[in-house]
Amino acid sequence: MRYHLVAIVRSRYDAVAIVRSRYDAVAIVRSRYDAVAIVRSRYDAVAITLHWVIALGILALIIMGLSMTHLGLAPLAKFQLYQLHKSIGITVLLAVLLRILWRLSHRPPPLPAMPPLEKAAAEGTHGLLYVLMLIIPLSGWALVSVSPFNLPTVLYGVVPWPHLPVFPDLANKAAVETVVKFIHGKLAWLLTAVILLHAAAALRHHFLLRDRILARMLPGRTAKEPRS
Amino acid sequence: MKSLALLIALALLSPPALASDWTVDVPKSHLGFSGVQNGAPFQGRFDKWSAQIAFDPAHPDAGHAKVTIDLASARTGDSQRDSALTQAEWFDVKGFPQATFEATGFTAKGGDVYEAPGTLTIRGIGKTVVLPFTLAVNDDKASVKGHLALVRTGFGVGQGVWATGEWVALEVGVDVDLIATKSGS
Repeated sequence: MRYHLVAIVRSRYDAVAIVRSRYDAVAIVRSRYDAVAIVRSRYDAVAITLHWVIALGILALIIMGLSMTHLGLAPLAKFQLYQLHKSIGITVLLAVLLRILWRLSHRPPPLPAMPPLEKAAAEGTHGLLYVLMLIIPLSGWALVSVSPFNLPTVLYGVVPWPHLPVFPDLANKAAVETVVKFIHGKLAWLLTAVILLHAAAALRHHFLLRDRILARMLPGRTAKEPRS
Repeated sequence: MKSLALLIALALLSPPALASDWTVDVPKSHLGFSGVQNGAPFQGRFDKWSAQIAFDPAHPDAGHAKVTIDLASARTGDSQRDSALTQAEWFDVKGFPQATFEATGFTAKGGDVYEAPGTLTIRGIGKTVVLPFTLAVNDDKASVKGHLALVRTGFGVGQGVWATGEWVALEVGVDVDLIATKSGS
């Protein structure tokens, strides 16, 4: 991504650089010791790709999960839906692990100035999203592993995927399955609520507050700045 | 007593009713099975098995056959199902790697129809079954076709939640289609 230096304003102690990238809003970067740092105002391509892959995956998983358990489907369709749910669930788990590794090694763009309470709410929501995005697929994996059906998982019918350790060897598999199934289902509802909150907040920033919070996570083209 | 002695003497003197030995051409033969899962029929086959057959059409009752099947070689075109089949709930290949069918004495039922009564052993459970088959012999080539209907739970195939026919039908079929060559007499 290219950044164009718009201006450098020096004061006695600080240097302030005003930079503009091709797609992004103006970022004002201060450095106390005259060195000017350029800070990204958008997430990078890897983070954006992972975010939307995970988002689509979770949306599909929620719809499938509800269909599997509530629609009273024919046995074959239901069976196949379960298998696909397992495949997509593991895919999302792997994408979330990558996302977390990427996030830890790549600093996200800083938030614009906002009330401390809102900032805390945003950070808390993000933290909760990460926790749920780990626990829910792991509980699903445990559920498959402890199921008395002992059905092997073959991702997309191609890649064999093992059971978690310990769970398949438990003596009271049916009882443990009931508990894990309860946790998996309830946490999925909680995740649905947190995602709605997350999306509502992003839309509020975009349409009501008219800042670039949402744009920094949108794929490049749609975030292009209007020509002026 | 005299006639019995004569009978024994005749039996000893006459050429022994030595059944012919046949070599089964495993790659050209087919040992298959079929079932119904979630209402959808499926076909499978065993890739690894061997058969020893002694059979003389003139003396079917003196015939003998033993088929040994490597259960881990079951293939149904669905890797998840194949993987499930090896598990303890199904064939339990760790505990019972092989199934066997041993028949002693065949019965001619007229024409090219025969029956092979024998013992089928799966998961260590042996049961008497009768395999009906047709036989076509052409010079030194023989073709054997047979079908056996089984109830899988009779052999413990499908444990626990699988012991009902709710998801996988209890009725399964075994299909035998052998090509054999006479290997001497």
